[in-house]
Amino acid sequence: MSGLGELDHPGTPESPGAWDERSQQRMTTAETTSARQEPTTPRRTTADPVRALMHRHRDLCEGAVDPLEIAAGLEAHGVTDRTAARFRHRDVFSLAEEMFARAAHDEDPQRRTTPLATPRVRADWILLTLLPGTIATATTAALRLTHGQTRLTLAAAGTLALALSARAALSRGPLATIRPLSLTRTGPWTYWLITYTVLGDGLLHAAITGGPDAPPTTTAWPLTTAPVLALAWSLAPASWTTHLFTTRARHRLPTSRGLQDFATAVRPLLLGTFALYLSTLTALLILCTTTLPEPPAYAQTLPLGALLLLARLLTIHGFPRAPRLALAAAAAAEATALATSFAARLPGCAFLATPVETLVDTWGPAAVPALTCTAAALPLLIHATRTLTRASAHAPTEPQC
Amino acid sequence: MRIGLLTEGGYPYVSGDARLWCDRLVRGLGQHEFDLYALSRSERQEDEGWIPLPPQVSRVRTAPLWTARDDGVVHGRRARRRFAECYGELAAVICGSSAETPTAEADRFRSALYGLAELARDEGGLVGALRSEGAVRALERACRAPGALRTAREARVPELLTVAGHLERALRPLSLDWYEDDGLGAVDLCHATSGGPAALPALLAHHFFGVPLLLTEYGVRLRTHYLAATDAPPAVRSLLAAFHGRLAAETYDRAAVVTPGNAHARRWQERCGADRAKIRTVYPGMDASPFAEVGESTEGAEPDTLVWVGRVEPAKDLVSLLHAFAEIRKDEPKTRLRIVGAPAGPEGEAYLGHCRALAAQLFPDEAEGPHSVGDNPVSFEEIGGPELPTLADAYAAGAVTLLSSVVEGFPVSLVEAMLCGRATVSTDVGAVVEVIGGTGLVVPPRNPRALAEACVALLRDPERRARLGAAARARALELFTVEQNVTAFHGIYLEIVSRTPVRRVVLDDAGEPLPFAAPAEAHVPGRWTHTATRVVARGGPSWAVRPTPPLPAAEGAR
Repeated sequence: MSGLGELDHPGTPESPGAWDERSQQRMTTAETTSARQEPTTPRRTTADPVRALMHRHRDLCEGAVDPLEIAAGLEAHGVTDRTAARFRHRDVFSLAEEMFARAAHDEDPQRRTTPLATPRVRADWILLTLLPGTIATATTAALRLTHGQTRLTLAAAGTLALALSARAALSRGPLATIRPLSLTRTGPWTYWLITYTVLGDGLLHAAITGGPDAPPTTTAWPLTTAPVLALAWSLAPASWTTHLFTTRARHRLPTSRGLQDFATAVRPLLLGTFALYLSTLTALLILCTTTLPEPPAYAQTLPLGALLLLARLLTIHGFPRAPRLALAAAAAAEATALATSFAARLPGCAFLATPVETLVDTWGPAAVPALTCTAAALPLLIHATRTLTRASAHAPTEPQC
Repeated sequence: MRIGLLTEGGYPYVSGDARLWCDRLVRGLGQHEFDLYALSRSERQEDEGWIPLPPQVSRVRTAPLWTARDDGVVHGRRARRRFAECYGELAAVICGSSAETPTAEADRFRSALYGLAELARDEGGLVGALRSEGAVRALERACRAPGALRTAREARVPELLTVAGHLERALRPLSLDWYEDDGLGAVDLCHATSGGPAALPALLAHHFFGVPLLLTEYGVRLRTHYLAATDAPPAVRSLLAAFHGRLAAETYDRAAVVTPGNAHARRWQERCGADRAKIRTVYPGMDASPFAEVGESTEGAEPDTLVWVGRVEPAKDLVSLLHAFAEIRKDEPKTRLRIVGAPAGPEGEAYLGHCRALAAQLFPDEAEGPHSVGDNPVSFEEIGGPELPTLADAYAAGAVTLLSSVVEGFPVSLVEAMLCGRATVSTDVGAVVEVIGGTGLVVPPRNPRALAEACVALLRDPERRARLGAAARARALELFTVEQNVTAFHGIYLEIVSRTPVRRVVLDDAGEPLPFAAPAEAHVPGRWTHTATRVVARGGPSWAVRPTPPLPAAEGAR
C-alpha cells in the first residue's frame, strides 16, 4: 500500500479501492494469464439482500428521520431504480421505506451534546479594555501636575483619547455589538451622563448658589475625576463579567430541558454578574478616591455604572430599545435639573428651582445624578431579568454564508 | 406577456447557478417582457454584479437571503396574538402534533403560511417576531404537545433555537416588499426557476393577486435539503424536513405547471405530492453550435482512441475506468485513453494525482520501436492546450466517449458527446438512460468488466459506431437544444395564461368596477400593442401573419 488509497474516497462505500485484488493480480501475474479470467467466486448472495444493504448504509438508516432522507442518501451513493429492482422494489422510494421501517431507531439515543461555540478569551480585547483606565490615569496625573494652557491642552487631548479608547474597547470582545450600529446608538447619552459626573455636581451647586463665576477646575466649581477614573478602569471587569455571563449562559443552553428551565438557571447568573461588577466598581472607586484625595462619590457612580453595564448587556444581546430609552431619560432628567436651576433666575420663575433646591438642600448636589441613574437602572434591571434570561437572547449567531 | 422570473442565487448574478439557462430563456423569448425578482445568496455574490441583461428585461428587483433587514417595527398586542396564532399553527403542523388527515394538515400549513405573509404585509416586523422568544416558545409548546413526532419531543433548547433560526431564514421572502400592485401583482405569470425560497414569493403572488405559477426544478430542492443537513441533531432534521416537505407540497399544489428537468426530478416531485397532470418534463437546452462542425464532419476520428471528458472528482470513478481500460488493452492492445478535464477542488486534485499514479502503475510507457521515446497509453489533459483547444476537439479526438460516474445528475458531457455524433458507453446512473435512449451503450456502474466489453464491442465495429453516433446526434438535436427548451417554455406560458381567468378588476374614477376593462386580447401572444405586430387568429389569412416571426408559438413539450 502506498498510502495513496487514503486519498481515494469517491463517496461510495463499496467502491473498490484503488489497489484491490485485481490490481495486485495484474501487477504480479501480468502477461502470464492472457486468457480472460472469469470471476472465480460467484457473488455472495444472502437470503435477505436488503439487510446487507442496510448494514452497508447503517449510519444513514439509523440516523434517518424520514424515508425520503434515506432515499436521497441512497441516490447520492449511486442507487437507482434499477438497483432497487434487484431488491424487489419498484423504486428507490419504496426500498428506502422498507429500510426506514426495518432500521433500529434507537428509542433513547445517546445525546450528542455538541457544546456551542463560546467566545474565546483573547489578548486583544483584554489589552483594549485596560487602555481607557490607563489613559484616564495618565490624564488625571497630568491634570494634577500641570497648570494653565498646558493643562487645558492635556485635558482636551486626554478626553479625546479616553473617548477613542473606550470606543475601541467596546468594539472588540464580549462587549462588542454584532448588530448594525444605527440601531444601537446610545453614544451621545452615555457621553452626557459621564460628563455630568465630572462637571455636573459643581455646576449645579454653582447654579443654585448664584454662579458659576469661574471656569471649572477651581475650588468654586471642582472637577470630580475619581468616578470617571473608576468607570474607565471598570471596563475591564465589565468585559470579564460579561464574558463570564455569556459563556455560562451558552453552557446552560444544551443542558436545559426547556425554556423555563433555562430562564431559571440563568437568572441567578445574571444577578451574580451584576453584583460582581458592582463590587469591583466599588473597590475601584475606593482605590481611586483614596489615591486622589477626593470625597467618595458612591451615590453617583454606582448607579451610573450599573446603568451603563445593563444598557450594554441588553444592547449586545439584541435589545437596544430599552437601554436607549433609559439612557436618554436619565440624561434628560439631569439636563432638566440644570436647566430649571438656571431658569429660576428669570423673573417670576423662581418656583422652577424649588424641587432641585429641596433635593440639593436635603442630600447635596450628588442626589440628582444618583436619583436619575437609579431610577433609570432599576427598570432596566427588571427588564434585563426578563429578557436576558430568554433562550433567544443567547442563540448562537448564524454563520454568514 | 409580462413574466415575473423568480430566481434564488442565480440569474442575473455573475456567479449565479442557472444563469446560462435563464439568460437563454430570456433572450429566446424576446416577445415577452420579463421582470426579474432575484434573491441573492451571499454578500460576495451581490458584490460581483450582474451579467448584461437584454432589453426585454424591463425591471430587476433584488433582495438578500443571507441577511434580514429588521424594519424595527414592534408588534402591538393584537399583531402579537395574530403572529402567535399563525406561528403556533405552523409549528404544530411541522411537529406533527395535530392528528388530522393529510389534507387538513396541508390546509393548516397553508393558512399558517399565508397568515404570516398577511401579517408581514399589513404590519411588518415579521423578522423581529420570528426571532423573538415568542416564536421559540410556540415551537416548544408544539414539540411538547401530545402526539408530536418522537424526534420532535426530544428537542431541547439549542435544537429549538436552531429550528427557529432556520425557519426565520426560510421565511425571509415573506417580509419582502414585492407584493404590491406594481410589483408581483402586475405580472401575468410567475416563473419560479427553483423550488424553496424562490418559489415562496410566487406562492404569495398567487395568494394575494391570483398570479399563476410555473415551477421549474432542474434539481429537486427538497432533495438538496436532505443531502445538505446530515449532521444536525435528529430533532432539527425532522422538523426542518417536515417544513420543507410541506412547503414543497404546497408549491406543487399551487403551481399551474411543474417542469422538472429530467425523470429523476419528476419522480421526486410526484413523490412529494405533485399532480402528474401538471408535470411536463422540459430538458435543459444545450448550445449545439460549438459541436456542429465536429458532429457534421464525415471523417472518422482516430479509431483506437477512447475519450473521457468531465470534471475530475471521486464521484466520476476514474479508478473503475482505468481498470476497465486495462481489460480493454488485453483485447485491443493498441487502444489509447485520453482523460480530459480539470480537477474540481482540493479533493479533485488529490483524486487526479491518485489516478495518475494508478495509470502509471497499471500501464508502462510504450514506444513505437527501440529507438523512439515512449509515452503512456493513458494521457491526462485539459481543455485549452495546443492539442485540444476547444471542448469539441476533445470529443472529436476519440472514437468512443466514455462516462464512468457512480453518481450523476443530468449528464452534460454525455449530451455534448451526442451532439458531436460520437458513440458512447456510459454507466447507468442519474438521468443517463433517459438522455441516451437507444443511441449508446449503457452498463451498470462500478462494473469495469462490463464497461470494457462494451468498449471492445464498439472499437471492433466502426459501422456500428457511426450508426450510433448519428442516431445520438439526431436525438440530442431533437431533445436537448436551446431552441426546444425555449419553445417548450413559450408554449407552457401561453397554455397557463390561456387557462387563467381575468383577475384584475379595473376601477373607474368613482371607484366602481369597470366591466370589460381587461379585454381578452390582453393575453394574446406577443406584445399586442407593438406597432409592427398584427394579431391574427389561428388559421387566419396567411398574408396577415408577420413574414418571419422570431419564434412561432408552438405547443409546449409534453
